[in-house]
Amino acid sequence: MTLDTIPLDVPVRVLGYAGLSLHDKERLAGLGLRPGVAVVKILRTPLRDPVECLVGSQLLAIEARLLPQIRVEAA
Amino acid sequence: MNRVIALAGRPNTGKTSLFNALTGLRQRTANFAGCTVEKASGTMRASSGEIEIVDLPGTFSMLPQTEDEHVSFRFLSECAGSGDDLLVLCVAEASNLENDLILPAGLKAAGYPVALAVNMIDESRLNGIKLDAAELSGRLMMPVALVSARTGEGLLKLDALLAHGVLRADLSDAMDFRCATKKRLHELQDGAVERASAASSASVTWPHRAVLPTVARSIRIDRMLLHPVAGPVILVATMFLLFQALFIGARPIMEFLSGALGALANSLRALLPGGALASLLCDGAIPGISAVIVFVPQIAILFAMIGSLEQSGYLPRAGAMVDRALRPFGLDGRVFIPFLSGFACAIPGVLAARTIASEKRRIVTILLTPLMTCSARIPVYTLLITAFVPATFRPMGFNGQGVVMAGMYAFGVVMALLLALVLKFTSFNEIHPSPATVLPPYRVPSARELTRYVWVRCWHFLSRAGQVIFIVSLILWALAVFPRDAARLAPIEAELAAVRAGSAPDTGLERAVLGRLAAARIEGSALGRAGRLIEPAFRPLGWDWRVSVASLSALAAREVFVGTLGTIYALGGESNASEGLIAALREARNPDGTERYGLATAVSLLIFFAIALQCISTIVTVRRETGSWEIPALQFAFLFGLAYALAFAGYRLTLAFLG
Repeated sequence: MTLDTIPLDVPVRVLGYAGLSLHDKERLAGLGLRPGVAVVKILRTPLRDPVECLVGSQLLAIEARLLPQIRVEAA
Repeated sequence: MNRVIALAGRPNTGKTSLFNALTGLRQRTANFAGCTVEKASGTMRASSGEIEIVDLPGTFSMLPQTEDEHVSFRFLSECAGSGDDLLVLCVAEASNLENDLILPAGLKAAGYPVALAVNMIDESRLNGIKLDAAELSGRLMMPVALVSARTGEGLLKLDALLAHGVLRADLSDAMDFRCATKKRLHELQDGAVERASAASSASVTWPHRAVLPTVARSIRIDRMLLHPVAGPVILVATMFLLFQALFIGARPIMEFLSGALGALANSLRALLPGGALASLLCDGAIPGISAVIVFVPQIAILFAMIGSLEQSGYLPRAGAMVDRALRPFGLDGRVFIPFLSGFACAIPGVLAARTIASEKRRIVTILLTPLMTCSARIPVYTLLITAFVPATFRPMGFNGQGVVMAGMYAFGVVMALLLALVLKFTSFNEIHPSPATVLPPYRVPSARELTRYVWVRCWHFLSRAGQVIFIVSLILWALAVFPRDAARLAPIEAELAAVRAGSAPDTGLERAVLGRLAAARIEGSALGRAGRLIEPAFRPLGWDWRVSVASLSALAAREVFVGTLGTIYALGGESNASEGLIAALREARNPDGTERYGLATAVSLLIFFAIALQCISTIVTVRRETGSWEIPALQFAFLFGLAYALAFAGYRLTLAFLG
């Protein structure tokens, strides 16, 4: 499953990326969104994009278009 | 041989706070060699002599992507090749070690001498995190200090650690990042992630909570501040307050400074014998200083507010809220603050664009920020709207003049968005450079840090843009004063002498003659002659030579337009909303008795002033921020051409439809 299908406030773990560009992959990895990290979708910003996520112990605003490309599993 | 400590780390780890704590006020700013990224450096006094501290731009990983990140790695490689003593002091946030340890672990593996400052130790204590510094030091094989740059905790230990021989000159094993392959960087990053994770697991005891208290608090606040309904309302209210503070807070100080410098000029004029020296000081140098200093209160208030929002953690969230709406125009949430600042003055707006990591996006922001309606346009708009929009004009019951003023603000924003859309199809376009943004925990801003933040930016403006603005003001003074057309001035001067010598002095008459004398001086000066010369070029916009000269002089600053017109119309004073000037413009007639200016001229002027980059200070600031004259020259020429074309269209359409 991918992160876009996960409801808010449900903790999951990142498995990997599917179809992300190298630029986006490196950026996300640099920010801490790496395989093995726990993620919780917290809320959608008022225009529903980006989405605020708790990644490890930090909060990230992630563009909604990236969520279907982040593979996750139940934590 | 220099002794250099380079501060490196991810953004929001408190790197700059630590830099300030280590260097005090012994700081200077310059650009890194060969680029426009700003370099903050300072000195630290150690028992072994002075050490240069360089605050490197924030770096997320060993895989540089933005211009800022490339600059950091390039600087380290250059240092390694220079033979200087070097230490990389990596700064990590104590509550986010699993991410922040990657950079020090990677740099260590790349052969650099690294020490680690684990910052915000006070916050991690509140989060219930326990850190074993000795274990961390052993795992990473580098000296470690636990500090809080905000409270000063642990700084003495860090000073001692830095002062005693951890700098190293032999960097022959250090990797040259300038020629490192992507594969090698990936290997470094992967290895660093493993070591960072192992070191973090071994040395950090996490609390038995799912979420850290500071993060949990931030989530609670975000549920309110990013609420679908309340979020935008709070954002608009915050921006409204910022505007109010800018206009209400800065105006009295600006008026005081302007008045004090005006009084100084008048006192000097009374003391000095009339002539070129008095004019140079009173009409050139002091107004030149005034043109620089009056901007400082606005810049200080704006950056105090931006600094507070930035330190509190709200700014990245505000950017995230508008991000989606700006994407169709090829922009993103990071342009929000520069654009917002541009409503006060384009200069802080252009400076605020530094927070944009992507170079192309930063340039686009700098190009478009001057289209926001800055406070310098307000006197011009007020004059033209009051003079030419009838007070009886009440669309849907609203005050028509107010509606037109609001429309001018909207016009600037719409033009900026349309131009952004055009730039999206040029080489300036860049796919969203930051698909994810860190939202730091909410924190109470520190007064000390805020003061330093504001001071650095004000000083930067005064010391850099200020010098050039001052010099340009002097040049404009010379153009407005020389050459003196003695034949034209002699009869007016004789008339003035006669009025003054009269038995019953008539101050009203004297002021009128003085006004005519000033007008004659300008008309005969190089600036006046230039106005006559350019008049045919602006005639299609409905402008005569007077408006052309005023527009030319407004190159120094837009509001000068009002003063110059006032002088030309022999009114002497430079009141922004002078009823006398408004009446003079309304009643001005051509020799054949027809109206000199009408609504069509006002429309063309309003459009022209809304778009044209008539501000030497902004042009100079753009030059400083982009590192060359190419961008400001392009910006000036393009906006001037566009302003001319649209002003012409506006003039013709108004004539066609309204007569």
